[in-house]
Amino acid sequence: MHMKSTIIKVAGTALLLAGMGGLLLAFASTPEIDGASAGNALALLGGAVLLIRSRKK
Amino acid sequence: MLVDSVQVGTISPPTTEPQPLWRIAGLAGLLAAELLVISARTPHIALQDVPGLPGLVFSLGTWKVRILVTLAIISLLVWQSRGKRNLGRLSEWPVGTGIAWRWLLAHLAVILLFAGLTSLLFENRLQGLAADILVVGWVAAGAAAVVLAACAFLPAAFWRALLRGTGDVWAYVLVLGVGACVLAAYATPIWNPLAHWTLMLAWMLLRPFVPGLSADPSSMIFGTHAFSVQVAPACSGYEGIGLILAFTAGWLWFFRREWRFPRALLLIPLGVAAMWVFNAMRVAALVLIGVAGAPGIALQGFHSHAGWIAFNVVALGTCLAARRISWLTTAGSVGTWPAERSEPNPAERSEPNPIAPYLMPFLAILAAGMLAGATSNGFEWLYVLRVAAAGAALWYFRDSYRTLDWRVGWPAVALGGLVFVIWIGLEPLAGSVRTGEPSALAHASALARMAWLAVRVLGAVITVPIAEELAFRGFLLRRLVSADFESVAWRAFAWAPFLISSIGFGLMHGDRWLAGTMAGMIYAFAMLRRGRIGEAAAAHAVTNALLAIYVLATGNWQLW
Repeated sequence: MHMKSTIIKVAGTALLLAGMGGLLLAFASTPEIDGASAGNALALLGGAVLLIRSRKK
Repeated sequence: MLVDSVQVGTISPPTTEPQPLWRIAGLAGLLAAELLVISARTPHIALQDVPGLPGLVFSLGTWKVRILVTLAIISLLVWQSRGKRNLGRLSEWPVGTGIAWRWLLAHLAVILLFAGLTSLLFENRLQGLAADILVVGWVAAGAAAVVLAACAFLPAAFWRALLRGTGDVWAYVLVLGVGACVLAAYATPIWNPLAHWTLMLAWMLLRPFVPGLSADPSSMIFGTHAFSVQVAPACSGYEGIGLILAFTAGWLWFFRREWRFPRALLLIPLGVAAMWVFNAMRVAALVLIGVAGAPGIALQGFHSHAGWIAFNVVALGTCLAARRISWLTTAGSVGTWPAERSEPNPAERSEPNPIAPYLMPFLAILAAGMLAGATSNGFEWLYVLRVAAAGAALWYFRDSYRTLDWRVGWPAVALGGLVFVIWIGLEPLAGSVRTGEPSALAHASALARMAWLAVRVLGAVITVPIAEELAFRGFLLRRLVSADFESVAWRAFAWAPFLISSIGFGLMHGDRWLAGTMAGMIYAFAMLRRGRIGEAAAAHAVTNALLAIYVLATGNWQLW
C-alpha cells in the first residue's frame, strides 16, 4: 500500500514536471504561436473546457 | 452603498479584524507597483554579453516571467491538494492592530537603495569584481526590501506559522519549478532534428497535390518556384507541443480521480504526437495557400493564427475523445455531462447545458475571429463571421434569455460614457501607435467599404456587448461566487469574483488590460446596482458606440 502511494506521488510529480516544462517551452518566442492571439485562444479553450465539464445540477 | 445592498451566502460575516489575505494582497500590490516603476526605467538588454554575474542576471531576466508563472501555477496546484487546510486556518490568524510603520519606512529606504543599485547596474555595463559585488548587493537589497515589507504588513510570527503550516510544500514547489526550467532549457537542442522531421512530413502530405514541390533538408526551404518558405527550427512545432504537454498534464492532474493510471498517461504522448502532425499539416497548408495564389494570406493571417487553431483542436479533441473511452476512465466517474454517464438517464439527456447560453455567443465570436484572422492578409475582411457566429448563437439560445432582466436605465448610459473617457484617457499607457484607416479598406470600392464598416459597427455595438456581458458578468462573476451559479442572485456582490472577473476581462484586451479591467469593474457595477444584465450590456454598447464614432471621426484606427 505504501509502495503504491509512493508510486502515485512520484507519477504525480513527474506529471507536474512534464506539464510545467511544456508550459515553459510554450513561452518561447516563436512565430507559429502568435502572442497577440494568445488571450483569445486560451479563453476559447478555457470556455470550451468549462462547457465540457458543466452539468445540470 | 453597493456593499450594503447585496448579500452573498458564501462570504463570511463582516468583521472588524483585518483579514491576513487582504494584508497579503496589499503587500503584493505594493511590491508589484514598486517593481513596475523600477523595471520601467531599466534597460535590461544592456547586460547582454557582459561576463560574470551581470551576464547571469541578464540570462535569468529573460526567464523571469516563465519562472514566476511556473512557480505560481505549481504553488496553486500543490496547495490546492496539500496546503488548503493550513491556509484556511491561517486566514483566521489574528492580524493585530495596524501596519507596522517603522518596518514600512525601513522598506521604503531599502527600496530606494535597490532602485539606485538597479540604475547603477543596468546603465553602466560594469565588469569584473566590482560588478559582481554590485550584483550581490543588488540581490541582497531586493531580498531585504521584500522581507521588510512582509514584516510591515503582517507580523513575523504569521510568516513563521505560514512556513510551518505548509510543511514541505515550499521545497516541493521550488524543486518542481527549477526542474521544469532545466527540462525546458535542455530540450532546446532537439529543435533542429524536430524541424527536419516536420519538413519531411509536410512534404509527404503535400507531394501528391502540388507538382514541382521540393523540400531541401540542408536549407530547410520548402515549396515550389512560385512560392516557398524556410522552416526555421522554431517552427518545428515545439511551442504547440509545449502547450499540449502542459494542457494534457494539467487535465490529468486536476481530474486525476476520473482516470485509470497509468494507462491514462498514454494521453500525453498521443497529444504530443497529434500536435506535431497538426503542425506539419499547418506548414503544408501554408505552402498550399501560397502556391494557390494567396501568399499574403499564407504569410500573414494563416501563419500567425493556424498554430492556435491547431492547439485548440488537438486539446479539445484529446479530452473529448478520451472521456468517451472507458478503458481510460474509472467507472461512472467521468462524464458530469448527462450524456456521458455510464448509465445515462433518458430524462436527463434532454437537459440543456446551463452555461451554454452564457458562454456560447462569446466562444462563437472567439472561434470566428480566429478563422477570420487565419484567412486575412493583414486586414480582417471576414469580420462578418464574428457577427454571424454570435448572432446565430444568440438566436439559438433566445428562449434562455427571455428570463433575464434586459431593462435599461439612464445610469447605464452614463457608465458607458465614463468607460469611454477612461478608455481614451488610458490609451497612452497601451503604447499603441496612431494608425490611419487600413489601406485595404481605404482602397476598396465604396460599397464594400460601407458594408464592412456597417458590419463592424453592428458587431461592436450589438453582438459583442451582449456576448461579453453574458460571459463575464452573467456567468463568470456569478460562477466565482458559487459553483451553482444559477442560484446566485444577480445583485450578489463579493470582492474576489468582482476583481477576478474584471481582471480576466481586462486581460482579454491585451495591451489595454488596465483600461479593460476598469471597464470590467464598471460594467459589473452597472449590473450589480440593479441586478440587471441589460444595464451592463447597455453600458458596454454605449462605450463601443462612442469608440466607433471616435475612430471614424478622428481616424484613430488603432483603437479598433
